[in-house]
Amino acid sequence: MSRPLNVVVVNGSPNVASKTMGLVELITSALDAKLPIEVRRIDVYRLGEGFTSARERADVSDDVEEQLAAAETADVLIAASPVFRASYPGMFKHFFDLVGQYALANKPVILAATGGSDRHAMIIDHELRPLFAFFQANTIPVGFYANAGDFDGTLVLNAEVYSRIQIGLDDVIEQFRAIADDAPARSELSPLGH
Amino acid sequence: MAFELGILTFAEVTADPTTGAAPTPAERMAQTLEQARVADQVGLDVFAVGEHHRTDFISSEPHMLLAAAAAQTHDIKLASGVTVLSSEDPVRVFEHFAMLDLISNGRAEIVAGRGSYTESFPLFGYDLADYADLFREKLELLLAIRARNPVTWQGKFRAPLLDADIAPRPVGDLPIWVGVGGTPASSVRAGRLGLPMALALLLGPITQFESAVDHYRQAAAQAGHDAEALKISINAHGYVGTTSQGARDTMYPYFREGMRENNHQRGEGFSIPRNAFDAQSTPGGGLLVGSTDEIIDKLLTYHELYGLSRAVIQMGFGGVPQKEHLEAIERLGTEVAPVVRREVAARGRSAA
Repeated sequence: MSRPLNVVVVNGSPNVASKTMGLVELITSALDAKLPIEVRRIDVYRLGEGFTSARERADVSDDVEEQLAAAETADVLIAASPVFRASYPGMFKHFFDLVGQYALANKPVILAATGGSDRHAMIIDHELRPLFAFFQANTIPVGFYANAGDFDGTLVLNAEVYSRIQIGLDDVIEQFRAIADDAPARSELSPLGH
Repeated sequence: MAFELGILTFAEVTADPTTGAAPTPAERMAQTLEQARVADQVGLDVFAVGEHHRTDFISSEPHMLLAAAAAQTHDIKLASGVTVLSSEDPVRVFEHFAMLDLISNGRAEIVAGRGSYTESFPLFGYDLADYADLFREKLELLLAIRARNPVTWQGKFRAPLLDADIAPRPVGDLPIWVGVGGTPASSVRAGRLGLPMALALLLGPITQFESAVDHYRQAAAQAGHDAEALKISINAHGYVGTTSQGARDTMYPYFREGMRENNHQRGEGFSIPRNAFDAQSTPGGGLLVGSTDEIIDKLLTYHELYGLSRAVIQMGFGGVPQKEHLEAIERLGTEVAPVVRREVAARGRSAA
């Protein structure tokens, strides 16, 4: 029986008005036009001391534990980050340092990033993709990147970004549909061990 | 500097995506000339025609179409948009446009560019590997022919000219613009030569040419030209409707169709999504689509950003039906142009 696809966004931007989330909005709205989805967003910069002070998973507060579990049990994860100092921010990495080592195995992951110019576009394949390769996650082949000049505020004004998102999602949409059609939500399965 | 508004067409033959019907080349030619007549009647300043060497376009020789338009119009300037100079003989280009200038009594203009399509290179025996050198040399020759007659000139890509008499001579000074698509080197070259620059905008933020214009004015000033006196034009896509939403709804299906050729993904044409189109229609986006008030506002923004003296709008791209296209031309000429000219003139006075 079909159910909405459970999509979780892990947002590495500290900004309230975020270009990174402007880009993600294009991805989720394009997904939403193709199949029913439910989107949950985790802002790593808003998780508080129960997150920042944690050295390991056992240290996190209950609400942060719930957020980590949400990312681990998502049908599809969107990992989205601005480029800080040639990579994703430390706060973003800290979140994934606390995620279970095998919790993302074979999980579809969409990679999205924004940077000050196109000189940073390889963050997708040289920084984000290896992180999820470690997790043995199933990153989708096309990554989505936009530079600061592509935006008016948080609205993307580069039409190629829209086309690339369509192409990239078309590659995997049948796989996503099968997840929503066949399986109970991953969060309804027995909890994964950490 | 008076602000000029005009229209541009590639005279493409595209099947109407809503009906599947395509005009014959002869029908398209008649429609294109009708567009020129209406543009002239409603007081627009420029009618420009692009050059494409493919069966889905009817304008491989813009000067011929413009010559026919010259005979049917009175005041409107007649320009190419662009002449693919890299694969042309500048002697013939000058001759063609000098004749057009005589036919139209001084209304001809050349907009010389490198072209966004490349099909003319093999057609006329040019090697794409020489893309940059070809344009540099041919522009130099075209300017030399305009500057003096007879002309003596020598280059790499054609036989030298020795005291060559190139005729006829135009009525006026035959403006030569450089068409620029955003490559910084192109705007620097145009500035260094002190030539007016025609910026071609397809899609993107309205601010995308700020650095191109800065480069242009800096290069012009360094070369000793009066940078502020140089003319800048933009060519942008758009549609003037009666309402904001109506204009977008009318333009989108045709623009999507026309853009498929220009928006390739994995080697194939790809439709621009509606939300991407709508983003380009916001105040920060490059498209000139909307109600007359929206178009006026955006043209004034363009003027403010770049110090434009001319805007040329392509409103029929992708085969917008003739009726809708003519209505948009009329609105541009009668409702948009008078307000923009007045506002720009007022700005000039307050700045003085």
